Amino acid sequence: MPKRLKATERRASILAVAKLLFADKGYHGVSVDEIATRLGVSPAILYRHFDSKESLYEEVLNELACRRESYVDAIVTGDSDFASVLRRITRIYVDSVARDPDYLRMEMHSVLEGSGATRQFFENRWKPFSDYIEVGLKDLVDEGYNMTVSPPVACLMFQGFLREALYAKCILKSGHYREIELQSLVDQLLALFFKAIGYDEK
Amino acid sequence: MSHDQELDARGLNCPLPILRAKKSLNTLDAGQVLRIVSTDPGSIKDFEAFCKQTGDELLESNENSGEFEFLIKKHA
Repeated sequence: MPKRLKATERRASILAVAKLLFADKGYHGVSVDEIATRLGVSPAILYRHFDSKESLYEEVLNELACRRESYVDAIVTGDSDFASVLRRITRIYVDSVARDPDYLRMEMHSVLEGSGATRQFFENRWKPFSDYIEVGLKDLVDEGYNMTVSPPVACLMFQGFLREALYAKCILKSGHYREIELQSLVDQLLALFFKAIGYDEK
Repeated sequence: MSHDQELDARGLNCPLPILRAKKSLNTLDAGQVLRIVSTDPGSIKDFEAFCKQTGDELLESNENSGEFEFLIKKHA
């Protein structure tokens, strides 16, 4: 006999289980029956909270896509130079993804399905980095730095490096990076990134 | 309310408004006031958290037609 939960608790538990299953198998790989079975309830209970599998999926996607990190700690504590701040905000983001890698899986599903949530994922998760790098590099050029790549290229490069580390360590468990911890890998990739864009950390 | 320096952070998203504010406040003396204008809705929570951590005083926080105005007094 499933435990009776308050409506808000039941809704939250449905979303949590649906997220796990959708992240693993995608929208088409999961049925309402499977979610209900995993929860130990009847499908009718699910339909009491969500009109359809599609609306449940959209809510899971939106909940993840609209989540934003707070980078206030990273700004207040420590040096304010371009590299130090980028290191600290990246560390916060990487910790967050490592705690909940289903976010990356759902983002990937959203891109493959052409979902409208893809834009929200970018706006809330990646754009803070793109904006920071773009504005930061423009400031550095104004200060006389000679950067070797344009800000948009640097943004793409950063995202590529970071995704490589996150996918390898959080999703694929790649043997290629088995010997190195996630944050150490990110630190090394950031050092490569700074070198590639012509930023001298001295 | 009068202020000693102004920061236009319109069009910038987190973490840039708080980073720019931190740099501006570093140039002010204790008791002086920085006015910040931002368009990032996240900056409301960010500046509240920022002032809690730095000890600076958030004198005002207003919204008007999609723009956010903050007055921050540098701590002693």
